[in-house]
Amino acid sequence: MSEINLELNKVSKRFGGNQAVDHVSFSVTKPELIGMIGPNGAGKTTLTNLMSGMLKPSSGAIYLNGRRIDGHPAYHVTRAGLGRTFQITRALGRMTVMENMLVPGLAHNPGARRPTLVARAHEILSLLTIDHLTNELSRALSGGQRKLLELGRLLMLDPSVIILDEPFAGVHPRLQDTISNYIHRVHDSGKAIIFISHNMGAVFELSQRLIVLHHGAVIADGEPQVVKSDPAVIDAYLGHDEDD
Amino acid sequence: MMALFRRFETAIDNGIGRRRLSYLLIALIIAFFLWFPNDTSQSNYAKTVFISGFFYAIMSSSWALLAGIAGQFSFGHMAFMGIGAYVAGLIARDGITFALLGINITPESISAIGSIIIGTIAAGAVGLVIGWLLLRLRAAYLALFTIAFSELFRIMMLTEYDYTGGSNGLSLRPLLQIADVNVARQVEYYLMFALLIVCLLGLYWVANSPIGLFLRAMREDEDAASALGVNVVRYKILVFVFTSMIVGCAGAIFYSDVGSERIIPEQLEILQMSLIIAYAVIGGMESLIGAAAGAFISRYLLEAMRQVVITLPFGMTTADGSDAFVWDTGFWRFALFGVVMVFTLRYMRNGLLYPIITWFSGRDIAMKETVAIRESDDEHAARLETDDE
Repeated sequence: MSEINLELNKVSKRFGGNQAVDHVSFSVTKPELIGMIGPNGAGKTTLTNLMSGMLKPSSGAIYLNGRRIDGHPAYHVTRAGLGRTFQITRALGRMTVMENMLVPGLAHNPGARRPTLVARAHEILSLLTIDHLTNELSRALSGGQRKLLELGRLLMLDPSVIILDEPFAGVHPRLQDTISNYIHRVHDSGKAIIFISHNMGAVFELSQRLIVLHHGAVIADGEPQVVKSDPAVIDAYLGHDEDD
Repeated sequence: MMALFRRFETAIDNGIGRRRLSYLLIALIIAFFLWFPNDTSQSNYAKTVFISGFFYAIMSSSWALLAGIAGQFSFGHMAFMGIGAYVAGLIARDGITFALLGINITPESISAIGSIIIGTIAAGAVGLVIGWLLLRLRAAYLALFTIAFSELFRIMMLTEYDYTGGSNGLSLRPLLQIADVNVARQVEYYLMFALLIVCLLGLYWVANSPIGLFLRAMREDEDAASALGVNVVRYKILVFVFTSMIVGCAGAIFYSDVGSERIIPEQLEILQMSLIIAYAVIGGMESLIGAAAGAFISRYLLEAMRQVVITLPFGMTTADGSDAFVWDTGFWRFALFGVVMVFTLRYMRNGLLYPIITWFSGRDIAMKETVAIRESDDEHAARLETDDE
C-alpha cells in the first residue's frame, strides 16, 4: 500500500474580487472515501484544480506525501501521486480507448514495456466493462462510457489520492452501479478517494467522511451522519425545514 | 465496381495480406525513385521538378507532425526553413565570432556542410525560443503569432539589403561542386531523395514513439494530457525544435545550389506557407506519408499544368493554323488547386489519401469489428431494458 498524506494548509484562491476558496485546511492520511459537497459556486471544482496543479493558490500550501505541490505543474502533481477526473469528461477524442489508457501509463512509467501496459489496460477496461471498445475512438463513446474511461486512465497512473469530480453526473443508473463498484474496489486497494457529487444518495451511501464547502470555506468535516445534522450545513446547504 | 473491389480485397486479405502489400508497394515506389534519374529519356528539368517535390514533401510532412499530430497550427514553418538557409549562407560568406566562447569562424575555415550544420542549429535555437513564447497560446492566437513572426523575419531579410541581398536573395555556398551538369543533377536528386527518406524515418520514429502519443494527447486536450502526467511544456518545445531543425536543414541544403541557387524573401511569403499547408491538407494532415505524398504529387501536377495542350477536334485549327490550342495556365493552375483543397476540406477532411492509407493499415477492419461489437452491445442493452420493464 502506497503512502497517503495529503495536507491542505489555509489554501485560498481569489479571482479578482471573488474569493473562490477561503483558507481551506484539511488532511487525508489513510485510505478514506471522502465526499465533498457544497452548493453551486461553493468552490469545489476550484479546490480540485488547486490540489491537482491546474491552478496556483493565492495563498496557503498543499503537501502530498511530504512534498509541497502547490504551484507545481499538473503533470508533476499527477506523477507525485494525485490523480483526478473532470466534471465534464475530457476524453482524448481522436485517440482510441487503448491510446487513452497508454498515455498515463507511459507518462507514469516511461521505461515500461508497451505489451505490459496494454495487458494492464485490458485488465482495467475489463473491470470497467468497456473492454470491447478498446479500438474505438473515444469521441464515439457515450457520456457514461467516457466517465468510465476517465476512471480507467486514473488506474493506469496508480495514484495514492484520487479526486473524482462529479463521477455520477449524466450517467445511466446501470453505469452508476459500475462506477460505485469501481470506487469501492479502488478504495479497497488502499487509495484515498475524494469525490465531488450533487447526488446526495450516492454521497451518503459511499462516504466515510464528508467535507462541506460553502462560499469557498470548509463549514463541516466529519462523519456523514454527524455532518448531516450540523446546523451550519443544514442552514447553508440542505436548507431549512419549512415546518420548523 | 464495388463488388469487384470487394473481391480484390478478399483476395488480398486471404493472400499476401495488406501489410505485406503495403511494404511491397513502398519498395516499388522507392525503386522507381531510385531508377528515375537513370532513365536517359528524362530531362534535367524533370529531375529538378522531382528535387523540388522532395523538398516540399519534407516541408509538408514535418508540418504534419507539428500541426496534424501535435496540434500546433503554425504558420512559421517557411520562416524556420529560411532561418536555416540564411544563416548557412551568411556564415559561409561572412563567418562569425563568438567572443565569449573564444570561437572565430572565418569564411575560409568553414565548409558548406559546416555552414548547413550551423544553419540547422540556428533554426532549432529559434524554434526553442518560439516554442517557449507560444506555450500559453493556442489555436487562432498561435496561428496569428506565427504569421507575425514569419512576416517579421521576411521583412528583415528584405530590408537588410547589405547583408541579405534583399529581394535579389542570398547565394549559399554550393554543397556539391560537380562540373558535369547531368551528373550534378543526378547527385542532387539522390541527395534530396535521401534527405526525404531520413526525415520521414525520423518523423515516423517520433510519431510512433511514446512522444508521438503524448503529442497527440496534447493536441486533443492540453489540460487533460497534463492531468495524465504529460509534461506538455517539454513536448511543445520539443516538437517546435525538432521540426524547425528538420526544415532548417532541408532549407540550407536545398538552397546550397542543390534545388535552387539562392534563397529569396519571396519564398517566405504567407502564400508559400499556405501552399505547404494545402499540400498537407490534401494528402492528410494527420498522416506523415500522406502529407509527403500530397506535397510531391501537388508539386508535380502544378508543374505539369504550367502549359496545357488541348488538341482540337474535327480538324479544327487555331488562327495560326495549329491543330492544338496551347493554354499558358499561369495562376489559373493555383485556382484549380484551390478547388481541390475546398473539395478535400468539405468532403474528405482527413485528406484524399486517407482511405488508401487506412485500407493498407487495416484500420478499417478494426473499425468494422468495433461497429459490429457496438451494435451487438446496443442490442444487448435494449434486451436488458425490455427485461427491466
